[in-house]
Amino acid sequence: MTVASLSNRFKRVMWKYSMAYLFIVAPVIAMVAFMFIPMIVSFWWSLNDYSGIQAAKFVGLSNYIQLFTNDPIFIKTLVNTTLFVLMGMGIGPTLGLLTALLLNQKVRFQSVFRTAYYLPVMTSLVVVSTIWVMLYNRNGLLNSFVTGLGFPKVGWLSDPRISLVSVVIASIWQGFGFETVIFLAALQSIPRELYEAAMIDGADAFLRFWYITLPSLRHVILFVYIYGIIGSYQVFDQVFVMTSGGPVYSTSTIVHYLFTKFMDLRLGYASAIAYVLFGILVVFSYVQWRFFTERS
Amino acid sequence: MQTQRRSLTYIAGRALLYLVLAVSSVMMIVPFYWSLGTSLKLERFVFSSPPQWWPNPLTLQSYVNIVTRIPFMRYFSNSVIVAVSTTLGHAFFDTLAAYAFAKLIFPGRDRIFFIFLLVLMVPSQVNLIPMYRIMATLHWTDTYLALIIPNLTGVFGIFMMRQFLMSIPNELLDAARIDGCNEFDVFAKVVLPLSLPGIATLVIMTFMGTWNDFLWPRIVTNSESLFTLPVGLAQLQMKNTSNVAQIMAGTVLTALPMILVFLFMQRQFISGMMAGALKE
Repeated sequence: MTVASLSNRFKRVMWKYSMAYLFIVAPVIAMVAFMFIPMIVSFWWSLNDYSGIQAAKFVGLSNYIQLFTNDPIFIKTLVNTTLFVLMGMGIGPTLGLLTALLLNQKVRFQSVFRTAYYLPVMTSLVVVSTIWVMLYNRNGLLNSFVTGLGFPKVGWLSDPRISLVSVVIASIWQGFGFETVIFLAALQSIPRELYEAAMIDGADAFLRFWYITLPSLRHVILFVYIYGIIGSYQVFDQVFVMTSGGPVYSTSTIVHYLFTKFMDLRLGYASAIAYVLFGILVVFSYVQWRFFTERS
Repeated sequence: MQTQRRSLTYIAGRALLYLVLAVSSVMMIVPFYWSLGTSLKLERFVFSSPPQWWPNPLTLQSYVNIVTRIPFMRYFSNSVIVAVSTTLGHAFFDTLAAYAFAKLIFPGRDRIFFIFLLVLMVPSQVNLIPMYRIMATLHWTDTYLALIIPNLTGVFGIFMMRQFLMSIPNELLDAARIDGCNEFDVFAKVVLPLSLPGIATLVIMTFMGTWNDFLWPRIVTNSESLFTLPVGLAQLQMKNTSNVAQIMAGTVLTALPMILVFLFMQRQFISGMMAGALKE
């Protein structure tokens, strides 16, 4: 092999590689500039007293310590957000599975019903929340039903005892169609023979559901809960539009609180909140990540 | 007798099934109908008792107001500009990178992809504040640049397209290479046409995400002339609470484009939803 052909070969390989690197260069730059650097900077700020105007002052873990020992509002937002997740995840996916099971019964106009459930999912949360603010109005549609049934008017968003539940209701209404669509597709991919065999063996509807449907769905169920929990813990738009966290912090959530601290130019403190959120989500994110890596 | 009873329970079951489906669907539609109806009412009838199910008198005044007194058409065109350029960016950059990760061999490929996926674990709020500072330092805040540039490519799109491209047989690509295509030609002439269904899904998902995005555009814009629809609508909702009909006209104008796109491209929406959830 001559030197010339070797260097030719080298050039060709280099050309091939450089083409590949060219293809990924934009995402790599975006990743470094908009993910890695901000992540590190954010962590550094969380250890500082930083307003964005004056120079940062290193304070160690005191932002974190203050969050957990000396900030009852933050604790309130943690509780609120966790309640939001528990209520939402307790009801949303179940509703999605129920509607998917119904739609899977050889229903006519299946796609019409599916569209109805799905419509809010692709609608902006700001739009959905704005509509629900109107429905929840003291003289709004919901209260006219309530009074029609002979009950006194409800302060859906103004009564701190139920405001969080009202936000949850609107959020479930907005989101469960996502789960309907996913569960329906998963149900349709279960082989019919399994059910036929079970019926020959005399299994009733419940046994078939328990021993065929649920196990076949376990992957999708895991995905729906992981994805849902991660998304719900980051709830912001609904709170911002419907209540701004009020009344008396009854609907304030982690990201909404982070947002208010950001607006108050307490950037170090807000960064610490972001990392607490990351800490809460890390287990779920890890499962999600495993989910993705297993598939690739 | 036995069969008759069974068919009776069958009919009753079906009736119940359709009843539940119909009632729940109506519950999904009523809020939309109510926002549309309200947008066509005179303000003084918005909260009238008993509720007015059909706007009477029917008026387009709120729509006239919203485009003449508020720069709502400006919000609209901002949303279109941001969503379209972001979507084009994803379609181009994500597909190209996905192709490299799926079909090309180069040192560090799997390691880089692994790191990409790792980043999916970090919630976006962690990056939010430094990202804002970066935008401010570059003097990009309150310009289209801040709304568009950071969102031109994304890990999830790359992941999704990579899954899609892996299903294209290598023999096809090799054949093109033997015919003398370079890697870019292989991509443009063989891969791209075959990946159009995947790209359609990616386009839909990106467009929907950007069209509905709120927190980021809310943070990086100050001037009304740069507001996207959700930001403008949220502002309208806060500052103008006494004009509900007008706010509802805003929700209709914000939601309608998405709903129209959905009705025409349902299949891509559904497969986009699936992309994350199901094993192929």
